[in-house]
Amino acid sequence: MKSLKYIAFILCIAVAAGCDKAENGAPASADQGGAGKGGSLARFTIAQKHLYVVDNMELHTYSLENPASPKATSKVIIGEDIETIYSYKDKLFIGSQNAMYIYSISDAGHPAKLGNASHVRACDPVVADDTVAYVTVRSGNSCGGTLNAMFVYDVRSVLNPKERNAINMDSPWGLGMSGNTLFVCQGSNGMAVYDISNRYYPSLKQRYFDDTYYDVIPYNDMLICMVQGGMLLYELKPDGQILKLAKISG
Amino acid sequence: MKKKIQSIRWLVIPLVLMLAACDPFRVEPEPEPSPEEVEGYAPVYATADMAGTIAAREAQPIEKGGKIYVKDNKLYQVEVGKGIHVINISDGDNPQKIKFIQVTGAQEVSIMDNYLYTNNVNDLVVLNIADINNVQVVDRVTGMFHLVDPALPPAAGWFECVDAKKGVVVGWELKTLYRPVCRKN
Repeated sequence: MKSLKYIAFILCIAVAAGCDKAENGAPASADQGGAGKGGSLARFTIAQKHLYVVDNMELHTYSLENPASPKATSKVIIGEDIETIYSYKDKLFIGSQNAMYIYSISDAGHPAKLGNASHVRACDPVVADDTVAYVTVRSGNSCGGTLNAMFVYDVRSVLNPKERNAINMDSPWGLGMSGNTLFVCQGSNGMAVYDISNRYYPSLKQRYFDDTYYDVIPYNDMLICMVQGGMLLYELKPDGQILKLAKISG
Repeated sequence: MKKKIQSIRWLVIPLVLMLAACDPFRVEPEPEPSPEEVEGYAPVYATADMAGTIAAREAQPIEKGGKIYVKDNKLYQVEVGKGIHVINISDGDNPQKIKFIQVTGAQEVSIMDNYLYTNNVNDLVVLNIADINNVQVVDRVTGMFHLVDPALPPAAGWFECVDAKKGVVVGWELKTLYRPVCRKN
């Protein structure tokens, strides 16, 4: 009886895993539904067979039902000084110089605003999942402000994201999540690696100073970094450890 | 008497003008001096006849490496204002540049199936990249978004002034500026 339960349990997991694969056409960390993967500084993102573009003020939505011929389906004003867009499942996370906005794409052609969280004026890419959004704010000439930090928001209630934590940083740029690891680029101040087993209380594990880091994409067993003058590739181990492979430059 | 008032009147006008000039109720901030060295935006130029050309070229050196994108073990990096580098990363120890897709004004890149979406200055363009040696423009959506402002950089602060003699502005890149003169508020 016990072994029967065990078999049933394994079967359930196998079925669930199978469904997951069928849905995405690939494992969760790889390319999603025929699209690739971008960095956190991007203004273009593809999700639910739609292309989302943010310019300085607006969010433009194009249906990719026929990927060779995008059809505009919606255009909405978000706010001022929009800089980045990040998609996760049926949500868009949009970074501006003074806020993070969350939009629902349950109706993919017509994004609808759910909530937002304001912060001090600064440059601010976002990464997120079901429970948490990490927003880095960097001050400076072209960003304004005087604060360099990473804000941690609880987004389980998307209509009202709650700030749970703020971590002082040197000069945070783009960031990327992979499992329980968070990579935060800090320009000439290296790349910080956090353990995020506890999503709201990241703990600093390691810092790398191989280059001047601007953005990062965890891609299967590889970590791709946008660095000064090119890119740096690392092998990404399941426990979040990284091992330098090659630099692409010149 | 009347004459006296008239002469006072002549005195009042310059007095009012003087008061207006130093307006005691408005605190004029000291103009901020141009910084010795600061991170800011600089224009990226192209010649007008280059602006619409989109084609796959031989691999080129990465100069102003911009945003990154990855799909099917191919890595794409924007060359700010000029195009997109395509790199094969199947072997992470030995990445190989394959091609350079020339797209004036490029800042962004996304891919679905065999179609690459990027911006040709302020047009959305769709490229069929099924054959990377023979990239084809299959669609163009004009006048939808405003990714590039030819007069001002995308953020406030000091920036390198536009010099029309150098061509048309097709993008902005972040770099270290020395004693910049122009400022966007």
